[in-house]
Amino acid sequence: MKHLWISLCVLFVFAESQAQFDDKRCKCICPSLSSVTNKTDDKTHTERLIKTTNDPPNKCNCEVVMLAVVADKLNEGEMREFCPRCNCKYENRNTTIIRYVVIIVIWVISILVVYMLFLIILDPLLNKRVKGNYQEHTNEEEDSQPGPMSHNMSMRGNVLNRVSTQQDKWKRQVKEQRRNIYDRHTMLN
Amino acid sequence: MEKFPLKRTSSSSQSSISYQSVGKKYTNGHHTSEDPHNLSTGRPLSDDEMIDIQTSNGDHLRHHNRLEDEDGISHYSVSYGGTTDTTTDIPGIGQYDDFHTIDWQRDIARDRMRHRHIVKKKQDSLWNLIEGAHDAWSGWLCVLLVGLCTGAVAGVIDIGASWMTDLKFGICQQAFWFNREQCCWSNETSFETGNCSQWLTWSEVLGQAKTGAGPYIISYLFYTTWALLFAALSASLVRMFAPYACGSGIPEIKTILSGFIIRGYLGKWTLLIKSVGLILSVSAGLSLGKEGPMVHIACAIGNILSYLFPKYGRNEAKKREILSASAAAGVSVAFGAPIGGVLFSLEEVSYYFPLKTLWRSFFCALIAAFILRSINPFGNEHSVLFYVQYNKPWIFFELIPFIALGVIGGVIATIFIKANLYWCRFRKYSKLGQYPVTEVLVVTALTALIAYPNPYTRMNTSELIYLLFSQCGIANSDPICDYNRNFTNVKSAIDLAEAGPGVYKAIWLLIVALILKLIMTIFTFGMKVPCGLFIPSLCLGAIVGRIVGIFMEQLAYNYPKNWFFSGEFSSGGDCITPGLYAMVGAAAVLGGVTRMTVSLVVIMFELTGGVRYIVPLMAAAMASKWVGDALGRQGIYDAHIALNGYPFLDSKDEFQHTSLAADVMQPKRNETLNVITQDSMTVDDIEALLKDTEHNGYPVVVSRDSQYLVGFVLRKDLNLAIANAKRMVDGICGQSLVLFTSGNPPQTLGPPPLKLKKILDMAPITITDQTPMETVVDMFRKLGLRQTLVTHNGRLLGVITKKDVLRHIKQMDNEDPNSVLFN
Repeated sequence: MKHLWISLCVLFVFAESQAQFDDKRCKCICPSLSSVTNKTDDKTHTERLIKTTNDPPNKCNCEVVMLAVVADKLNEGEMREFCPRCNCKYENRNTTIIRYVVIIVIWVISILVVYMLFLIILDPLLNKRVKGNYQEHTNEEEDSQPGPMSHNMSMRGNVLNRVSTQQDKWKRQVKEQRRNIYDRHTMLN
Repeated sequence: MEKFPLKRTSSSSQSSISYQSVGKKYTNGHHTSEDPHNLSTGRPLSDDEMIDIQTSNGDHLRHHNRLEDEDGISHYSVSYGGTTDTTTDIPGIGQYDDFHTIDWQRDIARDRMRHRHIVKKKQDSLWNLIEGAHDAWSGWLCVLLVGLCTGAVAGVIDIGASWMTDLKFGICQQAFWFNREQCCWSNETSFETGNCSQWLTWSEVLGQAKTGAGPYIISYLFYTTWALLFAALSASLVRMFAPYACGSGIPEIKTILSGFIIRGYLGKWTLLIKSVGLILSVSAGLSLGKEGPMVHIACAIGNILSYLFPKYGRNEAKKREILSASAAAGVSVAFGAPIGGVLFSLEEVSYYFPLKTLWRSFFCALIAAFILRSINPFGNEHSVLFYVQYNKPWIFFELIPFIALGVIGGVIATIFIKANLYWCRFRKYSKLGQYPVTEVLVVTALTALIAYPNPYTRMNTSELIYLLFSQCGIANSDPICDYNRNFTNVKSAIDLAEAGPGVYKAIWLLIVALILKLIMTIFTFGMKVPCGLFIPSLCLGAIVGRIVGIFMEQLAYNYPKNWFFSGEFSSGGDCITPGLYAMVGAAAVLGGVTRMTVSLVVIMFELTGGVRYIVPLMAAAMASKWVGDALGRQGIYDAHIALNGYPFLDSKDEFQHTSLAADVMQPKRNETLNVITQDSMTVDDIEALLKDTEHNGYPVVVSRDSQYLVGFVLRKDLNLAIANAKRMVDGICGQSLVLFTSGNPPQTLGPPPLKLKKILDMAPITITDQTPMETVVDMFRKLGLRQTLVTHNGRLLGVITKKDVLRHIKQMDNEDPNSVLFN
């Protein structure tokens, strides 16, 4: 079983060098040949013939696409009978967009998860340390507190401070939202 | 008392002056031509002289402006700080607090004033001209950007959700970023659809066979595990970063558009988390859709982008024009139905919808649909997965089953609304509400475990809808298309045929799926993950419709000569399309749940690309709305608004009671009205008043004895102005008089007075105490008032706020008036 799997893998790697993930396709779905050749078969209505090519839209019809498959099995009269039952559709897609979008989505989710874990696990530890240092200040004057602090440390990390104050502001907002929704149930029930 | 007649005469003389100056302003054009300076120079002018005169004219005009402002005839300029050079801008004036109602009249007046200012300045310089031009087109530019971003975000969500949904089943071996459909995009000739060698189910990845008992269990486990993982991520991201991102968002958008402020509801984090959470919760296989939250996402984009244009970002009433257009774009990308989106915005969410907004919504929806269409997320050249195209006629008799579908849809919708409301109320008031993440996990686990065995609930809901909508052709190999057909008739590939055993089996599975979906959706909608309602209700309706359709089809097959088919099928052509019934049923249930009519029909026929089915869809939507209205008064969104107690004054309801304004106004008997006098209160008095009472605004009167109304001042503005004056102006202390008049104060020895005339609204809407409440409610609805002042014999008697009106309506309808929670 395992060997088969590996060999399949190898086969796919080689197969990919062909036009595996095209942006265009012409897909034809036809009933099985037996429906035209009048051979009695129990499963006529389920068995189907599917062929995908990358023909241009104007050539995406049964006569062009299916010819290669059925040419040796059907005569011309049968071919004329066979084709109207086929369903040929030309479709295109953009593999590059799909690829990058999916990768971006994975990235965004991972970053958010990492940040969430950081906020859950590490942030309380860090904050506890900071709070220990500034315990006297954390009374009602929350707004004025960052002022002198940022003045003191303006030499070192102005941007960093601004980021952290922004973050604190955001955290307060989220806490407020959480209180509205999860505790008081005043919104979005 | 002696002082006041004097006062009044002086003020009346002032106003007569100001009226003259208004007249002058209107005749400015003639006035300047009569300017002696202009006349004396004569007709032929050199260029230099022309410039000279123009500048002098400009001065002239400006002089007039200043005069007007000093007279204060236009209260607009007063309420808008930055209009004139003379008034200093107090930061924060014109903004609102969280959970407050906006004053549409005031905001629109502010914008009109700002616009007038720009137009006036246009002649001054080239730069001002450019500024004016930018101002004129900024609305269109903003909706263009909103359309672009909405289309792009919707594309990301569509692609991400479809990929992640298929991740529950397996993975594409060489390109993990493809879903199953994309992975098997160009497979070779095969005699079976399932045969796609690149796509590996999880059992195959683990080295097992494709079918059998073992692989089934492995797939089952993987399906459940992935679903739980996605749901847990979604719920915890929402809880951690943006709790406002949960739910459908349409009730809140409706409330916001009706003039309510919910800070952060349309913010950056909400947008990000809602988009990501939506992908995750849709992929978790929960019974929810991404179409409703798309409206919220689009509105958040609209809100964020409106801050690029101060005209919209700083003015809440104007911002709602952009939000209306964004809501249209949201539905446009959700269903690939631009016109349906515009009508949805008009019919369902918007409150204030002038024609200008209609055109902008149209443009915005168009751009968004175009962008999504170019991204082509589903590879089918359309913006939705379940786009189908019909070209089959329907006969008159079929209207009866269509209306019956409408009735069934209305009944299902009512059951759903009642049950969901009951469950949401239970969640709100019981301990269940304390475990939001646990609830999501339990519901997800149950959904996944129950859904997997049934192929119709296992598959993505959008795919199921597509399957139910589509016609049975050669391309469809599902058991639902297991007809005893032999493809021998050359002319038509599909004809009326006897249903095979697969169809009957499929019907039983679909009935089970219907019950499961209904129950799961009742428990799912309202959980703390982003979840929409459109797709589940479409799905419920489509299942019912398909079953009815198959029934009708078999009826026509077995009794083709019956009188009600009037022999139309005897020729053996194709006639009854079960897919069309599915579509009508879907419209019926969605119509019953949301109580949409026009927009729903347009959305549905934009989905099918066939105008031919408007009449069946209309019949079903109407029947469903009637049945729904008869069985339960409110649609799901209105019911949720009522549950949450948002201050939403529905413009669809009628007020039918005979109460008068005097019955509703505050204060009631034995209470005193808190007023501010125009020139006799000190800063300390006002601060004490602000501290003792919690009203959001105070009427300003001439004096406490006379109670003659002068204007209305907002609490927030008062606070800001006093704080600002204490900071900026020297000498302002507790004993300073606060003046709302324009004239010079009588010479006193005390500290300098604080002039607050510019924050005073000189034109508050007033009514008399005998005004019937019908009229008052209409004024609140149509003018978008925040409060109105009640007078009697010209004296101020009380105030009616929007909250008073809402509470009064609740009281009259025998509901608990305390359920109106916000201001």
